[in-house]
Amino acid sequence: MNGILQGGLYAVMALGMALVWGVLNIVNLAHGAFIMLGGYLSWCLFTYLHIDPFLGLPLTFIIMFMLGYALQRGLINLVIRAPMFNTLLLTFGLQVVLTYLAQLVFSADFRTINPPYAGNSVAVGSVVVPEVRLAVFCVAIILTVGMWQFLLHTRLGRAIRATAQNLTAARLYGVEPRHLYAMTYGLGIALAGAAGTLHGIVSQIHPYVGASLTAKSFAISIIGGLDNPLGVLVGGLFLGIVESLTTVYIGQTYADVASFGILVLVLIVRPRGLLGRAK
Amino acid sequence: MKPRNMGLILAALVLLAGLPWYGSDLLIQFGINALLLAVLAQGWNIIGGYTGYASFGNSVFYGLGSYGVAIAMVQWHLPFGIGMGFGVVLAVVFAVLIGVPVLRLKGHYFAIATLALAAVMTAIVSNVGLAGQNIGLVLPPLNDDRLFYELSLGLLTITTLTIWALTHSRFGFGLIAIRENEEGAAVMGVNTTLYKVTAFALSGIFSALAGGIHAYWITFLDPDSAFDLTLNVKMIIMAVFGGPGTVFGPIVGALSLSAVSEFLSSEVTSIAGLFFGVVIVAAVVLMPRGLADLLRRGRKMGWGYFAENIRRHRL
Repeated sequence: MNGILQGGLYAVMALGMALVWGVLNIVNLAHGAFIMLGGYLSWCLFTYLHIDPFLGLPLTFIIMFMLGYALQRGLINLVIRAPMFNTLLLTFGLQVVLTYLAQLVFSADFRTINPPYAGNSVAVGSVVVPEVRLAVFCVAIILTVGMWQFLLHTRLGRAIRATAQNLTAARLYGVEPRHLYAMTYGLGIALAGAAGTLHGIVSQIHPYVGASLTAKSFAISIIGGLDNPLGVLVGGLFLGIVESLTTVYIGQTYADVASFGILVLVLIVRPRGLLGRAK
Repeated sequence: MKPRNMGLILAALVLLAGLPWYGSDLLIQFGINALLLAVLAQGWNIIGGYTGYASFGNSVFYGLGSYGVAIAMVQWHLPFGIGMGFGVVLAVVFAVLIGVPVLRLKGHYFAIATLALAAVMTAIVSNVGLAGQNIGLVLPPLNDDRLFYELSLGLLTITTLTIWALTHSRFGFGLIAIRENEEGAAVMGVNTTLYKVTAFALSGIFSALAGGIHAYWITFLDPDSAFDLTLNVKMIIMAVFGGPGTVFGPIVGALSLSAVSEFLSSEVTSIAGLFFGVVIVAAVVLMPRGLADLLRRGRKMGWGYFAENIRRHRL
């Protein structure tokens, strides 16, 4: 049960990364740092302006979107055609910058967004679950399904999918790649920000949390494949369940072995993801 | 190679080798660290720079080398040299066992698989009794920084000579062919699997030796520090900053970045990391082919070079 709830959150974390990866062909190593940033943003809104984190979610989403758009337009577009290795390094550099900025501004202390109802629990069948965890899970599902519908049915969503398939053809149909890339990156970062908010509610944020979250998002994107948000959701749930099962039955220290071991196996056996389609 | 360049390199080597006799203790210690990092960057250069496979798992070799020495010396009471050999054997076995399936992956996928392997190894070693689990191992101390310095310098020289020999051999050309076009190389008769695994093992050997020296020098070893994941990123940045796929680029990158980061962390601690990140971002945007390319141009350099780099890669 715990695994499923955690899995929903994992799915949102990986959603933005899979989107950016699939469309821009950038593995965004700064993704975890943006999750961290989103968490801090919501924490600020909650602590200083007393905005409930769930209500503040759209606000965080919009601010992070603008940040992502500006970053892609002003910086990442400059190296987008360089070898894959350079974009990897660039996003790593961004992650270092964000981590140390966060450390300077917020100090290295652990923070949790702690709304007054954080202690309440609710019974689902025979299991008692904390209310916030359930709420976080629901928001995560809504975001994932919303994203899926957005990509399927809106004009922008279709343009994004078209670009992922074939940039040249998309250009011929009137897609402006600079703008579209920036929109996609903005969306990816906004999703990371939302994931950060949710993470901040059920867990702790500190400046160094980014790297491990990036690694998890990676694993989920690979397991779920890059084509479809629903695949990412399945990947997230899968990882959440595997982690909690290993923790319970084998031991805490093996949780990472299990998740990364599965990642390597999936890569070797099905390089386009468990649910990914062959190209 | 031109005789003038040869003379310059020899002079630099003599200057470096003599450092323990005129440098301060602090400088020697900094030197050991910087030289070992340069070895790692060079090791990565073989698989990442020449073969074009961006390994994020070279820290595994480093860790295996450290543990090879530590296990041999602490658990079996064998001398240091045999421990180094044991570490190398571990690294080669790992490279072959893991390399065969993983080197089939390309691009990002290879990078991620190796990163994941590095994370898995940390967790596995912290559960192995022989390796002291997550408490680690304490090696018999040997307080001779001069010796360690010369060992590190020697290792770096051997590594660089090997790479230089590579660039003049059939094997090296095969690796470059794989980097430029793997299918093409296979068609031309390069046994790509054999070449890639050999390159992976070769880069592993040097990384393992560096790990072994470091372990004996520090005399203490635990899973988190031996299999430190940030080490991967460090060696890659140094290699790429200096110029991947060149003989001297990674050395230039490793020594200059070590110096910058050492200076910053002693002068302005809080913003050192921040600055490091900015340097990486600026370097990727402005000089994607590394410092070596910049130096090679020498006096013909100008602002136009940076503008040209941006123009080439932007959307």
